[in-house]
Amino acid sequence: MGREREPEVKAMSAAESSPARTEAPVALRLLRRAFLSEHLVLGLCLVYFAALAPFTPGFASWSNLQTVLAYALPILVVSVGLTLVLIIGGIDLSVTSIIALASVVGGKIMSGDEGWLAGHALAVPVALVAMLAVGFGIGAINGLAVTACRIPAFIATLTTMMFISGLAIWFTLSRKIGGLPSGFVMLGQQLWLAAAIAGIATGIAYLALARTLYGKWLYAIGHNSRAALVSGVPVARVTFFTYVASGLFAGLAAILFTAALETGNPEMARDNLLDVVGAVVIGGTSLYGGKGRVSGTVFGVLFLALVDNSLNLLGLTFYTITMVKGGLILAAALTDALRNKLLAGR
Amino acid sequence: MIEFSHIEKSFFGVKVLKEVSFTAKPGQTVGIVGENGAGKSTLMNILGGNLRADAGLMRLKGQPYAPASSGDAERAGIAFIHQELNLFANLSIAENLFLRGFPRNRTWLPFINRRQMSERTRKLLREVDLAHSPDTLVERLSAGERQLVEIAKALALDARLIILDEPTTSLTARETERLFAIMARLRQRGISMLYISHSLGHVLQLCDEIVVLRDGAVAAYEPTPQFTMDRLVSLMVGRAITQLFPARESKATDQVVLEVHGVSQPGVVRDITFQLHRGEILGVSGLMGAGRSELARIVFGLDPCAVGDIRLNAESISRLPPGERIRRGLAFLTEDRRAEGLCLEASIADNVTLAALRDLTRPAVGWLDRPKARAEVNRIRDAVKLTAAARNEQAVKTLSGGNQQKVVLAKWLLNEPKVFILDEPTRGIDIGAKHEIYRLIHELAARGAGVLMISSEVEELIGMCDRIIVMRRGRIHDTIMPREFDRERILRSALHDGALA
Amino acid sequence: MTSAPATPPGLRLLNQASLILFALVLLVFGVMSPAFFSGENALNILTQASSTGILAVGMTFVLLTAGVDLSVGSIMFVAAAVGGKLALGGVPLFAVLAVMLGIGLLYGALNALFITRLAIMAFIVTLATRYFGRGLGLRITETRAMNLPESFYELGAARILGVPLPVLVFAAVVLAAHLILTRTPFGRQIYAVGGDLEAARKAGIRTRVILFSVYAICGLCAAGAGIVALSQAPAVSPGFGNNREFMAIAAAVLGGTSLFGGRGAVFPGTVLGAVLIQTIENGLNILNVNPYLYPLITSAVIFVAVLLDAVRNRVLSLAARRKVFVEADPA
Repeated sequence: MGREREPEVKAMSAAESSPARTEAPVALRLLRRAFLSEHLVLGLCLVYFAALAPFTPGFASWSNLQTVLAYALPILVVSVGLTLVLIIGGIDLSVTSIIALASVVGGKIMSGDEGWLAGHALAVPVALVAMLAVGFGIGAINGLAVTACRIPAFIATLTTMMFISGLAIWFTLSRKIGGLPSGFVMLGQQLWLAAAIAGIATGIAYLALARTLYGKWLYAIGHNSRAALVSGVPVARVTFFTYVASGLFAGLAAILFTAALETGNPEMARDNLLDVVGAVVIGGTSLYGGKGRVSGTVFGVLFLALVDNSLNLLGLTFYTITMVKGGLILAAALTDALRNKLLAGR
Repeated sequence: MIEFSHIEKSFFGVKVLKEVSFTAKPGQTVGIVGENGAGKSTLMNILGGNLRADAGLMRLKGQPYAPASSGDAERAGIAFIHQELNLFANLSIAENLFLRGFPRNRTWLPFINRRQMSERTRKLLREVDLAHSPDTLVERLSAGERQLVEIAKALALDARLIILDEPTTSLTARETERLFAIMARLRQRGISMLYISHSLGHVLQLCDEIVVLRDGAVAAYEPTPQFTMDRLVSLMVGRAITQLFPARESKATDQVVLEVHGVSQPGVVRDITFQLHRGEILGVSGLMGAGRSELARIVFGLDPCAVGDIRLNAESISRLPPGERIRRGLAFLTEDRRAEGLCLEASIADNVTLAALRDLTRPAVGWLDRPKARAEVNRIRDAVKLTAAARNEQAVKTLSGGNQQKVVLAKWLLNEPKVFILDEPTRGIDIGAKHEIYRLIHELAARGAGVLMISSEVEELIGMCDRIIVMRRGRIHDTIMPREFDRERILRSALHDGALA
Repeated sequence: MTSAPATPPGLRLLNQASLILFALVLLVFGVMSPAFFSGENALNILTQASSTGILAVGMTFVLLTAGVDLSVGSIMFVAAAVGGKLALGGVPLFAVLAVMLGIGLLYGALNALFITRLAIMAFIVTLATRYFGRGLGLRITETRAMNLPESFYELGAARILGVPLPVLVFAAVVLAAHLILTRTPFGRQIYAVGGDLEAARKAGIRTRVILFSVYAICGLCAAGAGIVALSQAPAVSPGFGNNREFMAIAAAVLGGTSLFGGRGAVFPGTVLGAVLIQTIENGLNILNVNPYLYPLITSAVIFVAVLLDAVRNRVLSLAARRKVFVEADPA
C-alpha cells in the first residue's frame, strides 16, 4: 500500500470541481502574472511617474519630491497602523479623528501662547507622550468594543470617530492652536528627522509582521480566525492589541502632522481618511484579511502622494482630485475582489 | 408514485450509489436505514434536485423525473425536511409558509392579502396540530414546533412526497409522538413519505417497507413485517470486511494521562466520565449528533462545561483556554480541516508551525527563530511523509485532501503532545494516506501519548483501538472491550432503540 | 402542550430597548426643563427630524439586508447641488424636485451595481462613492455656497391643517416604507435575505434583485431628505449633508434595526430613533447645553444602542446553536 491513489473520496456534500487549466495566450498570462504580483503598485508608481513627468510642470524637481515626501510621511505612519488592522480582518475608521484629538491635546500642552506647560522644559516630551497616549487610549476603546462587546468594527470605529472628532472640536472650541515650540516643530519641518521617525515606525511594523510571533498570529487570524483559535492563538488579545497599535501609529502620525503644519488643529486630517484607506487597499492589503505587507502600503502611500501632487500641479481643483481618489479606491477594491476570485479559482 | 430505478452515482471515480432501486406508492411510508456514509444523503439529494445521478432513472407518477434544482423538485411536489431546518427565524410562521407565493390582493397594488394568508396558515397549522397564531415569529418556537412548520410548508406546497431526514433527533418524547400522529394523518391523505432515521424502533413502527443501504447498494428491500431489529442491524453491517490495519507494536499502559470526571453542559453532554491512559488508543463511537465532537471541544477548551473536571497528568485544566492546554500537551485535530484546521491561503510552513510558535520564538519580543522553524518544519514533514513535491512556501490549498490532513497532523505532532484528540482523522482521504495516518497514530501511542479517536467508521475503530466508548445523546452509553469488538454490537449500542417513553 | 420556548430570557427586554431609551430621555429632559413638553416644541422636533428621518428610513432598507450605505450624505449633496443649479437657472420647482429624486435613485443604483454585480464590500464601495460624490458636488457648486430661490423655503414653511409640510412628507415616506416592508412580498423577502442570505437563495428568492433595490431606495430617500433639508434652510453649502450617514445609521439602530440584518421596523422603530436623536438635540438646546457637546452626547447614545444590538445578536446566536439532546429527554 502507500501508493497515493488519485483522486480521493470527498465528503458527500456538493462536489468541488477542479478547474480545467486552459492555455491562455502569452500576453494575457503575463498580464495576469503582473496583476497578481506583489510589486504591482511599485510598478504603477514608476509607470505613473514616467508617464506624467513630461506633462507636469515641476513634477520631477527635487523640491517637489520633497513636498511629496513631507505630505506622505504622516500618511505613511497612520497607514502602516491601519495595515495591521486590515490584515486581521478589521477596519479602523477613527484613525484620522485620533490624529485630530492628539494634535490638539499636544498643542494644548506645549503651546507657547496658551499651553498648560507653556515654556516649561518638559513641555515637548510631555506633549509627545500625551499624544501617543491619546492614540493608545482610543485604540483601546476600539479594541474593547470589537473584542469584548463584539460590535462590528466599522460601526464601532465610526462611532468613535464621531465622538473623538467632536471631542477635539469642543476641546479647542474650533480654534487652532499655534505657537508651538521650535523643538517640537523641528520634528516635522526637518525632513530627514521626520523621515527617520516614520522610517523607524514603519520598520518596526515591518519587522513585527515578518519576524515575530505577533506577526504570525496576525496573519493566521486574518486567514482563518477559527483555525487560529483552535491552534491556540489568543485571538481576542491579539485583536485588541492591534487596535491599540493602530491608535498608537495614529498618535505618532499626529506628531508628524502637527509638527509639519506647526498648529494643533481639531480638524486635522479630516479629509485624509480616504488617502489612508485608499493607500492601504491600493498597496495590496486585502479587505478580507490575511493578506498585506508593509512594503505594499509604502508603495500605496507613495502612489497616492504622487497622484495627489501631480494633479495639484496640473491645476486640478480639490474636488476633482477627491473624485479621482474616490475612483482609485474603488478600482483598488475592485482589484482586491477580482484578485480574491482569481486566486480562489486556481 | 415515486420510483427509483438503478440509480448510480460516483464522486471522483468512487461509486457511492450502486444500482439503487425501490418504489414508494401513494400513502406509503418507506424507511431508509444505513450506517453513516451508506449513501442515504446522496440518494435523497438526487431526489431533491441538489445532485444528478450518473445513471438510472427516476419516475414520478409514471413520468420521467429529473430535477435540475431544488426548485424543480418542489414544483414536482417533493418536499425535503432536512435535519438543519430552512426556516427564517426573524419571520412569522405564515410568512415562512408563503415566502415565495404570498396570496395577493386583487387590486393593482402589490399587497399581501393578510387575511387569506392567515386563514390558509391556520388551516395548515391545524393539520399539523400546532396551536400557535400564524403571526408568531419562528424564533419563538422550539425545535419540534419548527419541524412541524416545515411539514406545514410541505403541505402548503401541496407536496405528494415528503422526505424526512432524521426528524426525531432534536425532539422530546412528546413531540415525537405528535409527529407520528401527524404522519398518520398525512398517510390518510395519500401522501408518500420517505423516512430516514437511525431510530430503528421508530422505523419498524412507522414504515410499510424498509430499504437497507449498505456501502451504496440496497442490502434489503422488503415489507416491514419481515424485519426485526437484529436483522436490520446485521444487514446494515454486512459481512465483516477486513481492512488491513498496520500492526500494533505497543500496548496501552495503566498510567492515567487524561481524566474526565462528571462533565456536563446543558443541552450538549451529560455526566461524562472516563480515563485515558498513556499509550492507549481510545475510540469514541456513536451516531452523528451524539455529542462526540462537542465532547472533544469541551475537553480541548473551545466550549465551556458547566460542571465537572478535566485533568491532564493530574493537573486540572478545566479553566484553561486552548492555548494553555496546548502548552501542557493537548492536541486536537478537528472534524473539518478546511474550516478549523487549516489556513488555506497560508503556506505549509506557516500552517505547520502555528501551534508551536511559542517554542520557535525567543521570549522577549517574540522574535522568530527562522532556522529552527525551518528545521522543525522539515523534520516533521519527513515524519508524516508529506509529499516531497510540495515546497514549504506553497499554499496549503494546493494540496490533496490526504496531504492537507498530514499538514494538520504535522502541526500538532510538532509539539509532541501527550494527549491527542482526533476527530474523523481519515475522512475524505484516499486509502494510501489513510494507512499512513494509522501508522502515525500507532507511533504516537508507542511513544506514550494517549489518543482519543472519534470516528464514524466502526471498522476503523475496531482495527485501531484498545477500547471503544459509545456515545448516545450526549452520554457515554457503553464501554466496549476488545473481546467484544464487533460491528453489530457497536452499532446497536449507538442506535436509539426508539422506544417511546 | 408546547415545550419550553426558544426565546432566551432578556431578549424581550433588548428588543424594547429603544422604547425604554426614548422614555428615559423624555423623562430626563422633561424633569430638567418644563419648556420641553410643549406642543409647539413637539412639532418643532418633528419638523427638524424630518430630513434625518427620511434618510434613516432609506438606510433602514439597506441595514435590513445587513448592508450599509456610507454615501447618503454625499447623495444629498449631489442632488442638492444639481437641484440648486437648476432652480437658480429658472427651472420650475416640480421639475427640479423630480430631477433631484432621479439623481438619488441613480446614485443608489450605482452603489448597488458595485455591491451586487462586482461583489465588493458595501462599506468600501459607499466609502469611495462618498468621497467621489462630495468631490462631484463641490465641482458643481464650485465650492461656493448656493442660496436657493424662495420657492424652496415656501415648501418648508407651508402648513396643511396646521402640520408643517416637511412633517407630512416624512409621514408619507414612513407610510410608504412601512407598507412596502410589512405588506408586500418584496418587503418580507428583504427580511428573509437579511435573516439568512443562503437560505433565501436556496428558497428561490431573487436575492440580487432585492439587494440592488434596497440601495436604490436608499439613494432615493437620500435625495428626498435633501429636498426636505433644503426646504428648511435653502442654501447648499460645501458641507451640506456632511456626516448625515452617521445620524441615519444611528436613528435606525436606535429604533431597533440590527446591523446584522433581518431585524427592524420603519414604524415605530426608525421613526422613534430619528425623533429620539432630534429630541436629544432639542432638549440639549433648551437646557442651554454647550453646542459643542452635542456630537459627544449623540455619539455616546449611539454607542449604547449599537452595544445593545451586539448583545442581542450574541444572545440570539448562542440560543440558535444545535442541541445534542433536549432537557426533557429521559435518554
